[in-house]
Amino acid sequence: MDWTAFGLSLQLAGATLLVLLPLGLGCGRWLALTTFRGKAVVEALVVVPLVLPPTVLGYYLLVFLGGASPLGKWLWETFGVQLTFNFAGLLVASVVFNVPFMVQPVQRAFEGIGRELLEAAAVHGVSPWQRFWRVELPLAWPGVLSGSVLTFVHTLGEFGVVLMVGGNIPGETRTVAISIYDRVQAFDLAAADQMALVLLLVSLVGVAVPFFAASRYRRR
Amino acid sequence: MREMTEVEPEGLYVWVQQEHPMRLAGEVVCARGEMVALVGPSGAGKTSFLRVMAGLLRPEQGVVRVDATVWMDRARGIFWPPQARRVGFVFQSYGLMPHLNAVQNVALGLLHLPRGEREKVAREWLARVRLTPAEMNRRPSALSGGQQQRVAVARALARSPQLLLLDEPFSAVDGVTRHGLYDLLGELRADLKIPIVLVTHDLLEARQLADRIVVLDQGEVLQAGAAAAIYQAPRNGRVADLVGVLNRFSGVWLGALTTEDRAAGRAWVAWGREGKGVRLRVRDKGRIRSGTPVTWVFQGEALRLEGEPAMAPAGEEVELQARVVQVRPLGELALGVLAVEETGGEVLKVARCGPSRRLLREGAVLRVWLDTSWVHVMPVRGGKEKGGEIRGGDRGDR
Repeated sequence: MDWTAFGLSLQLAGATLLVLLPLGLGCGRWLALTTFRGKAVVEALVVVPLVLPPTVLGYYLLVFLGGASPLGKWLWETFGVQLTFNFAGLLVASVVFNVPFMVQPVQRAFEGIGRELLEAAAVHGVSPWQRFWRVELPLAWPGVLSGSVLTFVHTLGEFGVVLMVGGNIPGETRTVAISIYDRVQAFDLAAADQMALVLLLVSLVGVAVPFFAASRYRRR
Repeated sequence: MREMTEVEPEGLYVWVQQEHPMRLAGEVVCARGEMVALVGPSGAGKTSFLRVMAGLLRPEQGVVRVDATVWMDRARGIFWPPQARRVGFVFQSYGLMPHLNAVQNVALGLLHLPRGEREKVAREWLARVRLTPAEMNRRPSALSGGQQQRVAVARALARSPQLLLLDEPFSAVDGVTRHGLYDLLGELRADLKIPIVLVTHDLLEARQLADRIVVLDQGEVLQAGAAAAIYQAPRNGRVADLVGVLNRFSGVWLGALTTEDRAAGRAWVAWGREGKGVRLRVRDKGRIRSGTPVTWVFQGEALRLEGEPAMAPAGEEVELQARVVQVRPLGELALGVLAVEETGGEVLKVARCGPSRRLLREGAVLRVWLDTSWVHVMPVRGGKEKGGEIRGGDRGDR
């Protein structure tokens, strides 16, 4: 059982969630409440990571963020930051990869609020900021929760993108999924078994959370 | 002709003019303590006018002023967002927050008050609209339609608005509840002293509740005034249709025929078909040219049936012979359709209650007197209507 890899996966999932939650809230809400030219294009872009093979996404991230790329060069020269084959790189990749998992449920949730409620709030003196906290978020939270859980669990099990962008560096980029792959390659099926089972259980519990929450929410 | 509405120093003044994305045009005035009903068919722009007042819709041109405060003046670049206007708005489906209980819903409109006071004020208002303390702690889903409605009214009024807007507030509740709400509204209205604008498609409701009616069609204010005045003298055929004037006829304006007519300010309308017909002597306002096809209407009060006591007529009476073609009894009321023999069967519609009901027997032939001072004549196409465009109400072929 590779606990280091497991810890790393949890860290990556947590960090991804932390970065993506505010981004996804902003983006999902924006897509839900406004109409503008080219909205369809933005919506399609949001979904692309879902349909693209992870290796393709990873490949492009390598190309655009790697040391040889203009962006990679600039980052290295000005900030001394490198975004490939380390944890920071994994985080960027993982955020991009999870955009649809976060944005889509959030967008649907905000779309479901109903215009009349938002107008009722505005007409009765509720400022946009107060409206967000007192009306929108409480009504949209099942969607936000569901997006968060999906992002977290999905990051835990990420494989292709991680391998492309991060490689297999113990303690830095070797996540659970990579470690399982590693163990299978080494015919250490017992270790692979254990880790796979833990990952399965964690995912199952995680995915169940929003369903329970939603059914409780509806009952109230 | 556009009469200038006297600008109230206090109360609501709204003027809107836009072509896109939909046409909206007209003025709405409502004094403090007054209730004005916007009526018209669906799609007439009633709710849009309300949304302009609340700041939910920004028209191309327009002014919204409440008392001395200008909330919107597009020409001067003034537009207050909804949350800056002090408006109480009761939405058609109430617009209550499903995740908040009744008290919290009302308190949401009181964010300007100190935290501790919000709940107290909210409970006071909910008590005023007669919610029990147990009901106050329930969420909208656990309240009946009428109760939700009252929560919405409490929320609208709790923040002591300068203007109260009601968007079809009674459409979703049953009759009994509705009458309870009418009473409640009447009671609150007496204390409020703010302009109240009601949107409704129910003319009866508008007549019962409102001091004045504004008739809208296709985004345009066609006529505004006291309900009785509009019924008696609709500005054009479309208004007559919209407010449901029963007795509406076409005829030809003959103008004044003698110098005596001219001196008395009277003119004649020819009524009837195929040579048969009668002439009615009516008031002449000098606006219609002789020979013009006209639409004319009168209110039920203008007709006296044979057997009914004669009251001093307000004007001249014309005697007609009519056959009762059809009678529909409606409880206390009977609706009769009478064919006027002199005109080749033009149809009068009369409603009678009390003993006069018995005068309406199918097949009976009655003498009927029409008091011509009730007759209101309109050009078939004129007033504010666009030339050449045929609108529903102006068919001259009836």
